[in-house]
Amino acid sequence: MTYIINRLLSVILTLFLITLVTFAVTNILPGDVAMMIMGTQSNPEALSGLRQSLGLNDPLLVQYGHWVGGMVSGNWGNSLIFKKPILELLSQKAVASAIIVIMSMMIALALAIPLGVWAAVHRDRWQDTVSSSSALLGVSLPDFFWGIVMILVFARWLGWFPSSGFVEPSVNFWGTLQHAFLPSLALGLGLMAHLTRMTRSTMTGILSQEFIRVARAKGLAERTVVWRYALANAIGPVITIAGLQIGYLFGSIIVMESLFGYTGMGWLTYQALLNRDLPLIQDTVFVIAAVVMLTNLAVDLLYIVIDPRIRLG
Amino acid sequence: MKRFKTTKGLIGIVLLLAILLVAILGPMLIPADASTAMDMHARRSPPTWVHPFGTDQLGRDMMFRVILGARTSLEIAVSAVVMSVVLGLPLGLISGYFGGFIDNVLMRLVDTLLAFPALLLALTISAVLGPNIQNTIIAIGVAFTPYLARIIRGEALRVAQMPYVEAARSSGTTDIMIMIRHVLPNILPAVIVQGTISLAFAILAEAGLSFLGLGTQPPAASWGLMIQASRDQLDIAPWTALVPGLAVALTVLGLNMFGDVLRDILDPRAK
Repeated sequence: MTYIINRLLSVILTLFLITLVTFAVTNILPGDVAMMIMGTQSNPEALSGLRQSLGLNDPLLVQYGHWVGGMVSGNWGNSLIFKKPILELLSQKAVASAIIVIMSMMIALALAIPLGVWAAVHRDRWQDTVSSSSALLGVSLPDFFWGIVMILVFARWLGWFPSSGFVEPSVNFWGTLQHAFLPSLALGLGLMAHLTRMTRSTMTGILSQEFIRVARAKGLAERTVVWRYALANAIGPVITIAGLQIGYLFGSIIVMESLFGYTGMGWLTYQALLNRDLPLIQDTVFVIAAVVMLTNLAVDLLYIVIDPRIRLG
Repeated sequence: MKRFKTTKGLIGIVLLLAILLVAILGPMLIPADASTAMDMHARRSPPTWVHPFGTDQLGRDMMFRVILGARTSLEIAVSAVVMSVVLGLPLGLISGYFGGFIDNVLMRLVDTLLAFPALLLALTISAVLGPNIQNTIIAIGVAFTPYLARIIRGEALRVAQMPYVEAARSSGTTDIMIMIRHVLPNILPAVIVQGTISLAFAILAEAGLSFLGLGTQPPAASWGLMIQASRDQLDIAPWTALVPGLAVALTVLGLNMFGDVLRDILDPRAK
């Protein structure tokens, strides 16, 4: 119990630190944000008006206080380019991103676990080389390159999937999945590589342990030994690594959603960055970091539930 | 597996040397304006004898551009990784060596930074500073720092508990001298391995930033920019995407292979 309370306290502290880092990064610019937004040729009156409305004339500490205070009280400010409350925008886009994050993780695991197990079972043989080489190739290509290849093959040539856009799940759930599939596949392929390597090395370690020899000695089918006995023990570390990849995934969705015109959080972040929409940049960057941090926490807690051997000290 | 590892190392080294050679010698051998010269009679030309890798939408030679892109990519990646080592090394070293309160404070900060996806952090810094080559280096360098600091701290923590450090301390050597003379040389192998692997990620990051228009700016040649430009002409000129894509893949593949083997040689504990 004390463990959980300690973790929760540390979450609050980390959230506070995330706001500090976000604010620092978005305010490192020595120049004038208002001029950045409106361009150097804009008229001085409009500039000072914008400065006033953005609160740029206040000291940094006051600006920071306004920002954090606003977020705590539910006032997340307005986006300059979309002219809408940011909280509303974020809650709209979050669903779209959740779909491709979950889908790409499922694709990655569905490919990586069999491939990693296959490599571990046939360790040092050609199967291992094939698996390791394809994993190496997977990490070596930028995921947006996979995205472009997907668009070319599955959207343009074969016409199986739409090449861009997003459909609200409440309107047409099947359509949502179709739009989400290609970006998820491209993300999943990049992710798969790390997970394959992890599965392979964990499985290799487990397959050489005593209890596996015992299971084989008592005449269990090899399939049962590998998939029931060994994999059950390997799945914990693999899930943990998969959870840690969430951070990487949230970076990649910025590229992938922009490439596919898939209007989720990644796309929103990109629009904010491209148009220097400062309030939107601050809020999206904060939300993404917070989500990554909370997911990592959830994975830690999940691991305790999955693996009863872990004692909390 | 052993034979596979040696072959892998060999392929990695050959790939890296080839790319380095191209990146260093290429720009000297190519006529200065060749990469921007537009051959209006051969726009989007498929690979021919005149243009072995084809041309892009402006009739610029893809071979020249991909070679100059190698220079840009490597320059940015190497500078960014050097920057993250310069920032991360003292952070990790001090944190791991002293431990206790300093370690707690520094690592809390590093953990916070790790919650920001590296690409997001790099994109944000680049957007705020204004995208150009120098700021791309800063953006990637800062974004990679927490990862390096984390690994260096772990290594420093391990080395700081070694008997020879204890011996140096009891003979009155100052902390700074111990860090420089005893800890640093012993964590260097891990730093080199991590640096090599970070280079591969830095190449990918530069390509990603440029692809999104927040890295290298046109008309400079960059692999990410070239892939970006190819998007609208994929069906009619697929080579405009394949050539730079392959360049990124070969470079990153070479670095990863080399890094894997380097790890086996320098860092036998990591399996």
